[in-house]
Order: sequence, then C-alpha cells, then structure tokens
Amino acid sequence: MPFIRLSLVAAVALLATGCANNSPALGSKNISYGDTKAVETVTNEFGSTDLQMIAESMTRSLAQSGTLQGRPVVQVYDVKNKTSEYIDTREITTSIKTQLMKSGTARFASDNTDMQSQVDQLKLQNQSGLYKQSTVSKTGNMVAAKYRLEGSISSIVKRSSDYKDVFYKFSLQLIDVESGLAEWMDEKEIRKTTER
Amino acid sequence: MLPRTLGILVLIVAVQLTGCAAFRSYDTELQQTNQQLTSGNVDGALMLLEKHNTSDDKDLLYYFEKGELLRSKGDLAGSQTAWRHADQSVIAWEDAVKLDSGKYLAQFGSYLVNDKVRRYEGYDYEKVMLTTQMALNLLEKNDFDGARIAIKKTHEREAVIAELRDRQYLKSEEEAQSHGVTLQYKDLKGYPVESLDDPEVVGLKNSYQSAFSHYLAGFVYEALGEKDLAAPGYRQAAELRPNTPLLDQALIDLDAAGSQNTGTDGSEVLLVLQTGFAPARDSIRIPLPLPIDNNLVITTLSFPVIRSDTSTPFFNQVGIDGQPVNLTALNSTTAMSRRALRDDMPGILVRTTVRAISRGVAQKKLNEVNPLAGLALGIASAVTEGADTRTWRTLPDNTLVARIRLKPGEHQVVLPSSLGGTHVRLKIDRPYQVVTLRAIGNQVYSGGLAAQVIPSNPPQAVAINIP
Repeated sequence: MPFIRLSLVAAVALLATGCANNSPALGSKNISYGDTKAVETVTNEFGSTDLQMIAESMTRSLAQSGTLQGRPVVQVYDVKNKTSEYIDTREITTSIKTQLMKSGTARFASDNTDMQSQVDQLKLQNQSGLYKQSTVSKTGNMVAAKYRLEGSISSIVKRSSDYKDVFYKFSLQLIDVESGLAEWMDEKEIRKTTER
Repeated sequence: MLPRTLGILVLIVAVQLTGCAAFRSYDTELQQTNQQLTSGNVDGALMLLEKHNTSDDKDLLYYFEKGELLRSKGDLAGSQTAWRHADQSVIAWEDAVKLDSGKYLAQFGSYLVNDKVRRYEGYDYEKVMLTTQMALNLLEKNDFDGARIAIKKTHEREAVIAELRDRQYLKSEEEAQSHGVTLQYKDLKGYPVESLDDPEVVGLKNSYQSAFSHYLAGFVYEALGEKDLAAPGYRQAAELRPNTPLLDQALIDLDAAGSQNTGTDGSEVLLVLQTGFAPARDSIRIPLPLPIDNNLVITTLSFPVIRSDTSTPFFNQVGIDGQPVNLTALNSTTAMSRRALRDDMPGILVRTTVRAISRGVAQKKLNEVNPLAGLALGIASAVTEGADTRTWRTLPDNTLVARIRLKPGEHQVVLPSSLGGTHVRLKIDRPYQVVTLRAIGNQVYSGGLAAQVIPSNPPQAVAINIP
C-alpha cells in the first residue's frame, strides 16, 4: 500500500513537472517557433520548402556525381531568375555552397559579390601602409577556380477560376573553366497546385 | 408629447450610432489642402490637415496625407515618420487578413454599417503606393539598402492582397446570389459607366499592381548587384505595361555581361516625375426601384464616382542640359482608383441595396407604430446615406520616368513651359541615382540631396509633346 501511494505521488509529481518549460518566456502567447524543415504550403508562391528541396537535391546530386575529386575550387555565379517572382536565388546557391563546404566536398573562390570586398581588403593591406609587413596577405596568390557553377530557375503559371498551377524548373551545371565543358548538370522540378 | 420626445430620441440615437464620420466631407477638406499645395503653400496645407484632424486617434488617411505633404516640404525624415505610422496600420490589416481572412471578409460584408463610417483601411493601390513612396524618400538620400526593404515589403504586400481579393470577389458573387441581387453597375441609369469601362482601366491587370513600383524594384536591385531580383521587377513591369520600350530595354540591358554600372562611364540616373493629385471620390445619388415589403419602392441610393484632378497638365518631355528627353508614363493613380472601384462595385451594390431594403422595412414597421419616429429614422437615414468619399488625395496622379546616363557633376533639368518652365539643378555623384520631382500646377517640389529647384523662371523652356 505505501508503495502504491508513493508511486501515485511520484506519478503526480512527474505529471505536474512533465510539460513545464522552466526557461523564462516573455510576450504574446500567439507567437511560437516552428520547425524550419516543416513543409510550408501557406501560398503556392516560391517558399522555404522549395528552397530546401532544391538545395538538398542539387547538393546530393553534385556530391555523388564523382566530379568533385580532391576538393576542387569552384566559383558560384548568379542563378538567372527567369520567373516573374521575386526569388532570391542567391539563397539557394548559398545553401548548396554551405552544404558542400560542410561535407568537405569542395572549396569556393570569392564569387561576384564577394570579389569587390576581397580586392578592397588586399589593396588596403598592401597599399595603405597600415599593417605590419609580415602579416600582410600578398597579392597574386588568390586561387583561381577550376569549375564554375551556374544555373537558372524558370516557372510556368497557369490559372483557371478554380485552380492555380505553378511549375518550377531549377537547372544547375558545373563547367570546367579550362575546357569549357559541362562536367555535371541536374535539374529539379516542382509542381504546386492550389484549389480555390 | 411622448411620441415627439421619442422621435427626437430616435433621431439623436441614429445620428450618434452613425458617428461623426458620416458627416465629414473628406472631399471638401482635401480640396482646400490641395489648393494650398498647388499655390506653393505647404505650411498652409499642413496647417489645414492638422485643423481637420484634431482627434488624438489619427487614422490612416491622416498619415498618408501628412507623409506626402512633409515630403513636398522637403522634410524627408518627418515624411518617413508619418508614413511609418501609416505602415503600422497596414501591417495590422495584413496580420488580420493573414490570421483569419474568413473573419475579415465576413465583417467586410456587413450590411448594417454604411461604408463611410467604417474605419478607413486604405485601398489596395494606396497600400502598394505607400511603400513605393517610402522607397523614393530613401532613394532621395541615396539609401538603396533602406529602399530595398521598402520594395521587398511592397511585393510581399501585393501577394497578400492578391490572395485576399481572389477570395473576396468570389464571396461577393455568392452573397449577391444569396440576396437575389442581380444588379450591375451598368444597370445604374445616370451612372458614368464609361469612366469604369475606359480602355486604360480595363487594360489594367488589377488595381494594386503598379508598373512603376516593379520598375523601381528592378532598378534598386540592379543597383545593388542583385540581377536575380532585378529581372522579375523589370519583367513584371513589362507585363503590366506591354510594348513599352523603356521596360523591354531594361531587361535586355540587364542580361548583357557586366551590366552593373561602376560609374566609370557616368551614372545611371532614374529621373522620376510625379505630377498632379490622385482623383477624388464623389457621391452620386441614383433612384432605384427596390422590393420593400413586397412592394416596389423607388429609393434613392448613393454610389461613389471618381473625379479626376485637373490641376496639372499632362506632359511627356523635359529638357536635360538643353536636350529634350522623353518620359515614359508608368503609373496612373486615376486608372488604378477607377479599377479599384470597378472591382469593388459588385460588393458596393449588394451592400447598399440590402442596407436600403432593410432600412425601408424598418422604417415602414416604425411608421405603423409611431409615425414621428419613422419620420425621424427616415431623416437620419437621408442625412447619413452617402457613398464613401475618403481616399488618399495628395498622392501623385501620374508617375513618369526617364533613364539616362549622365557624367558626374552638375546638370540642369527644365520642365515644360505649361508647368512654369521651372529649372532644376541636378548633382550627380554616384553610379546609380534616383532623382524625384513632384509637379503640381506651376509648382515643382524636390526634397532630395541631388535636386535643387531654382526659384526664378528663366525664359527658355522646352516645348511639350501633346500625346
């Protein structure tokens, strides 16, 4: 009997503490954090799930293709946005770049946007006279890319009074800078249909 | 004695229920304000605005107008503060719509409240133009990063509006069917149907997408080196205004290798000319036979009509350093406002008709019990019945642009003689620059760092191309 009583007390205590979140929280109850990987179907415009799907599919395909032997240097170019939607395609290439970098598959040269900052920093170190000579990064030692990565995203939108259908096609290719040959290429298609 | 007291009481209650908004003539208020602006007295215009808005609880319209007036005065910081207040109201509206659009649409479809006593929420095109104007304010200070935020907000807002309107028009059709209202605006005898069926109005894809907003988005993204976002800006502008060489060229040039301007061959300057005022909304009374208690009763109903502004002549050319430069018209607030009314008319017709029928029935019942109270209700209804005439009136009507390559340094822009031939000095010192001028009547306003209106009127003025 004492065992049952003790077990009951323990069970009640566990239940009482079970779901409690002891960390301090401020603000409205209507705001919550969600799973960043959860499938988002709020509208049928380009969304977070599409971005993640494309980035994962392209990274897997490129990493498994066998093209990137010996961690070659790759330069990422803009992905041409051929849709009428404001899609920040750099976010897609940044995700691909991050995943390839984390898996140690490739190294990346400064891309178009980073290049100006890189040049400015080199100039500052070499021309301003502000830095101790032994710590200055020398010019002429930047590593050139063996491959360039470029692609495009396009869409076909169809509407009727009852349906809206959006078809996205994302293509990416890896081109050998010296030979100009496309060494790898893949595409990801996404169809989203909304019933009104 | 008792019936008379009751009658007066009903009248007082009816008047109080409808609130002061029912008696406010927004059109008259803003006509006075705009007259001050047309004559160059911005402080006078601001004073009038404050005089007409003495309550502590300022509405969206007050902030819309104040932002535009302060912008004309050259107080860009003050203008941004006022518009940020307006933006907060629009954000609250967006949140309400996103959270529960069904609930939002249900309250919008209420038949008891007259449209003009609702809290002003702003028309769709006004919400889009708000952030576009805010972006222009920031670009006047060469703040492209700040403008990018306003621009991103504009296209995100457009998406919310598109989603909501799809549902609203569907619901409006269903409600018209459920109330047996088959009336269309084309059936209203005496209504200026041609103003809503104008080819420019019908040609618009909807009321809230502006070719100018998208073109400006394209320009800002291009200046920031984001071609992937600049392309849809130019593309959407080209889709909204097909066969416009300026828009087609922007896309072609963007695809050219190394298209980002570094400033070595001069600056890429976007000259934006905003002219006139947004149109007014007036109320027109039309008698219609309505089925009240199984009898057809001729009842006078009020419907809104759009009245264009005539303060500023249309022009499509300016002189830059002595050379004529053609301008491309990318936005007409009049056309957008007409389109908004055209799209809203089915809903307005259902609401006005159903409200008139219920009021007619109520008045008839009250007449049977107490004729004086019935009369009082009739008077109160007649006084308060009228279309909603509120709209953002200081918003510019036409927006025209010219994209030109200019060498760094000083340049001179001359406006047509019909606008007083005003001279404006431009200071160009960056690879990408946006210069905005506002022309109202003979007045030209500019508050930016790059443009300075020269007060005197030298005789040399360029000829105007009348289209």
